[in-house]
Amino acid sequence: MDSSRTLQNKPLLFKIILVLLFVYGLAHLAPQPVSSISGIWGPSSALAQDDEFEEFDEFEEEEEGEEEGGDEEASAEGEEGEAAEGEEEEDLSYLTDIGPAKDHEFEPYSFMGLSNRKFTWAAAQLHILFASFILGCPMFVVIMEVMGARRTQGVRKAIILANVFLGILIGVVIGITGEIIVGIHHGVLYGLWACAFAALIVSFLNYFHRLMNVKAAAVVGGIFGTVIAIPLTPVEHIEVSGVILAIINGVVGGVLSNMIMFAKSDFKFERLAHEITKVIGMCYSFTALTGGLFLFVMLVLYQDFITYLVANFPVLFLVAYPTLFILETIVMYIYVYSWDPLNQANKKGRHIVCGVFLNILGLTLLCALDGPATFMQTPPKPLDELANMGEWSKIATSTWMPLNYHRLVGNGTFGGYMVGVIGAYMYLWSNKREEKEYYDWVGYMGNNIGVAIMIPLPAMGYIYVREIYEYDATIGMYIMSDRESMFMLVQGLLVGTMFSASNIYMWVSMKRIENAQRFFPAMKFGFILIVISATIWFTPRRFFATMMPEPGMNPDMVLPDNLAFLALMISKNTAAFALVTVTFINYIFYTIATKTGKVHYGKINPLGIYVLIFLGFADIWLMSWMGTIRELSRMNWHVYKVFKDVTPEKFAPTLAESGFHVTTIVWTFFIIMTATIWLAIKYPKSKKKSESIPAQTAPQMAE
Amino acid sequence: MQEKTFKQKAVKIVPISLIAVAIIWFGGAAAGLAPVLLQRLAGIVLVTMVYALLLAIPKTELKEKSLFQNLKIKIPVIIVIAAIIWVVAGQAGFPIWWQIEFVAFALVGLFYFVLLDLRTMKPEKGQFHAVIRLIGTYAFASVLFIVITAQLPQFDPAHEIEKLNRPPVKLSGLAGPEVIAAGREVFEQNKCFNCHKVFWEGNSDRGPNLGTKQIGLYSEDYIKEQILEPRKTQSPGFEDPKSKKAMPTYYDEDLSEDELAALVSYLKTMRDPTHMPVEGKFPDQWTWWDDPKILEEGKIVFEGLEPATEGLNCAVCHGKDGIPMMTGALDFRNENQPDTDKMPDHLPGVQMKDWPDGLWYKRVTRGVEGTPMAPWGTIFPHLYLWKAEAYARTFHDPLDKRAEKRPVPPIPTKEDIEKWKTEGLFLDPLL
Repeated sequence: MDSSRTLQNKPLLFKIILVLLFVYGLAHLAPQPVSSISGIWGPSSALAQDDEFEEFDEFEEEEEGEEEGGDEEASAEGEEGEAAEGEEEEDLSYLTDIGPAKDHEFEPYSFMGLSNRKFTWAAAQLHILFASFILGCPMFVVIMEVMGARRTQGVRKAIILANVFLGILIGVVIGITGEIIVGIHHGVLYGLWACAFAALIVSFLNYFHRLMNVKAAAVVGGIFGTVIAIPLTPVEHIEVSGVILAIINGVVGGVLSNMIMFAKSDFKFERLAHEITKVIGMCYSFTALTGGLFLFVMLVLYQDFITYLVANFPVLFLVAYPTLFILETIVMYIYVYSWDPLNQANKKGRHIVCGVFLNILGLTLLCALDGPATFMQTPPKPLDELANMGEWSKIATSTWMPLNYHRLVGNGTFGGYMVGVIGAYMYLWSNKREEKEYYDWVGYMGNNIGVAIMIPLPAMGYIYVREIYEYDATIGMYIMSDRESMFMLVQGLLVGTMFSASNIYMWVSMKRIENAQRFFPAMKFGFILIVISATIWFTPRRFFATMMPEPGMNPDMVLPDNLAFLALMISKNTAAFALVTVTFINYIFYTIATKTGKVHYGKINPLGIYVLIFLGFADIWLMSWMGTIRELSRMNWHVYKVFKDVTPEKFAPTLAESGFHVTTIVWTFFIIMTATIWLAIKYPKSKKKSESIPAQTAPQMAE
Repeated sequence: MQEKTFKQKAVKIVPISLIAVAIIWFGGAAAGLAPVLLQRLAGIVLVTMVYALLLAIPKTELKEKSLFQNLKIKIPVIIVIAAIIWVVAGQAGFPIWWQIEFVAFALVGLFYFVLLDLRTMKPEKGQFHAVIRLIGTYAFASVLFIVITAQLPQFDPAHEIEKLNRPPVKLSGLAGPEVIAAGREVFEQNKCFNCHKVFWEGNSDRGPNLGTKQIGLYSEDYIKEQILEPRKTQSPGFEDPKSKKAMPTYYDEDLSEDELAALVSYLKTMRDPTHMPVEGKFPDQWTWWDDPKILEEGKIVFEGLEPATEGLNCAVCHGKDGIPMMTGALDFRNENQPDTDKMPDHLPGVQMKDWPDGLWYKRVTRGVEGTPMAPWGTIFPHLYLWKAEAYARTFHDPLDKRAEKRPVPPIPTKEDIEKWKTEGLFLDPLL
């Protein structure tokens, strides 16, 4: 019965998707509130300067009625006849005479209501979203593959490498948090060395079936990690705080390595890792496609600037980037397509090693491209000397490492929530009980990964913005207190929404766990704390959208001085701490419930599935939003205080306009992702539906 | 073993928690820990107590409700909660927009609690049903985010475009008010308002309020040094490490010579003829009346020893120890002295102890007609005159005998500043 119904529904499903695509296309045809140039692809030959004033004129006309000529703007158009007689022509060279923007020529385009900036914005954002997915997911896919693999000798050898890789990632995140938030000198190096070497030593001993006990692994990891980290960290005086940080990292590295090495192999992880990898493989093509689109868009719409940017990084763009990209492509496809053959050949260990290399290449690529991105925002000083600086100085800017950390953790969160979305989709598309059980578990794992990696994310964001403030407080103020202050308020709302949604998912999930209801009164109290924390996080110092009230704004919308503390960082940090803590407590309740009661996977309240999808959408929307904030924070500069943006769209768009545009970008991403998930996971299953596929295929044989 | 009842558990949890709070509170205070830290620790213990009590509640089946049942029970509760929030926030001094915000978040709480108690959703009847729900989820999220971004306060990009299109500050050919206006522009462009208020304008107390501090009283060199080398001298009350680091050090590179000159011209206008300068970080502020360092400097001026006011010696007439050396000179020891009747704007019936700051300033800067009290404000920098006035007061009101500091005056409003100009309280025609 079920299968026949499914067959009947399928054409309908296709129709609905087609109709939706059509509606989506129509929505894009709707006129946008930006200047439209006649013709769909209608280039105008005017120079930037002229168009700028044409636009300004249009605005003036709206404001002042049909007032003609005589104003400054008209004279700016070069219509000498309209300029007042005897008056010297206004010198407007200041608009274009700064640095490389001097010879800038700009042609505005419009296509279906999208302007130059919105095109570029959409192409760049889509590229970053796909890139985040293909860089974020492999980090935990490898760990899941390890968790799902039988502990053969080859696998155990590969686990040593995988554990060291994980140790480096975790060590760096804990270390940088200790360095910046607590103020430990060279904390990141303490964290990195201690965690990585603890993982190496403990894994190595584990390989020889020594040090089986987790407590002993913690002690050995703590001691050896610290002993190695101290001489490797170049500090003049060893401080207690640094040693404590090294011990913590050593213990974490040791315990995790031990737990992973001796974890009971669960095939669900293997299957999850494999399915996600199939999606990654398809998304890889979209990453390349959108990357190409972005480059073409830049070449057409911002030709001068992209030429300038690429010319500043000859080695990177001519050698390093193509090499890394080609290598990553090769390793990626080997990883995707060697999965089954290597499993069948009992060479799982080699596959895991391949996955680790894929991650190393991916992260290197991420760091390499963060160079030009941070160069645009914080070019190395002194700016007069920029032309004589080496390429490395332009890559390793002051915000380069902070952005690397931020994107590393952000991509992990992104990947986690996308796993939740994949689980939710497949749950909805599955009819069999076993499949529903499995995908219910996938959703649970996705939420766990997303929430767990999201916890250090605010710290990484703080580290990044702190460095921006150090570089030039004007950018920091533009973000936090001026034109982007309301954008940041939206970020606060989104973070609160995401934490709330994660907790609602846990609540809904716990309804399918026996004996879990004893936690509900305490969890409800947690929700009260969440609402209070979200309120504090949101509360602004002022309710007008700029630092100082502009015409049309109400200057009285300011908190009195004695209540201003609610809007300060100390209150926001307390609220963030409370949000994270309540989520962590609920997670503990959830974990206890799953350990002490039977979990009825496959019987989740459908609300939970839609909450997972909402979470994925919210996370990706938030990520796009933060990207928007970062890009706009350069103000009217392509490269801050070096290459001026003299195009008509050099201003910050309004919150409403940005919100709508980001939503359309995220919709585009989700439409492509929906099709990708269907093609990568669902469609192959549908093809083989006549064959019976067990939900849990037997694991591979031992070597 | 029989499980303990809620009452038995509560009897243990509550006293233990309260004892822990008492130990933290009194023990911490005795150990000299900061009150903020104690409040936080006590708060954490109390929250833990609530969690422990809630976990002690015997297991009961969760009663799921339909949407209607949910709303029937929760709407009256939320109305009461919202009313309490509204009144309490209003009493605490929150403006109406924040009252609305808090109530809106209470409604968000209502949404969550309705969702938590809501009856389990029925499974999808087929793929079509699933697709509808899926689209509904995306639509809900999209509408939510679009509405949020559309409804929060917006700005008009035209104002930014206008600012971006303005030419850079060039002072050639500009004079007086135009230079000051250009300086104001530099002040705004460099986002100085992010940390500094200028009287009523701005909304951050991270740095001194340059209006009430009256930065305009200081010399141009000093103001330039404060902008270009902010770490050299810290404003009183801003010596904490965070404040020390707050002022950026790159203005030397960022500001052109013309921009700096314009900025200083604007800052020089920041003076208040009606109040003593105010120092310190909000809310720990004080006026120069009560500033020991200023009083010391004021003594030097009063006694004619300040090189910057060479030729000014108050002690010649008013006496080094406050005993007038000349007939008719004001006796600063007598707190009941009235204002002079030689001036058309004299303030009858007010004793010296109650003189407003503006009267002190007026009499010193403009002098008293027909007496040797010259209009010193036309000759000497007013910075020193204020200091001398602060010192003169100590003759009838010694610093060590004061029970409390003089209250910090309210921040002058836009109207006040307009009034100073129209009434000609400044001696400088540009102000």
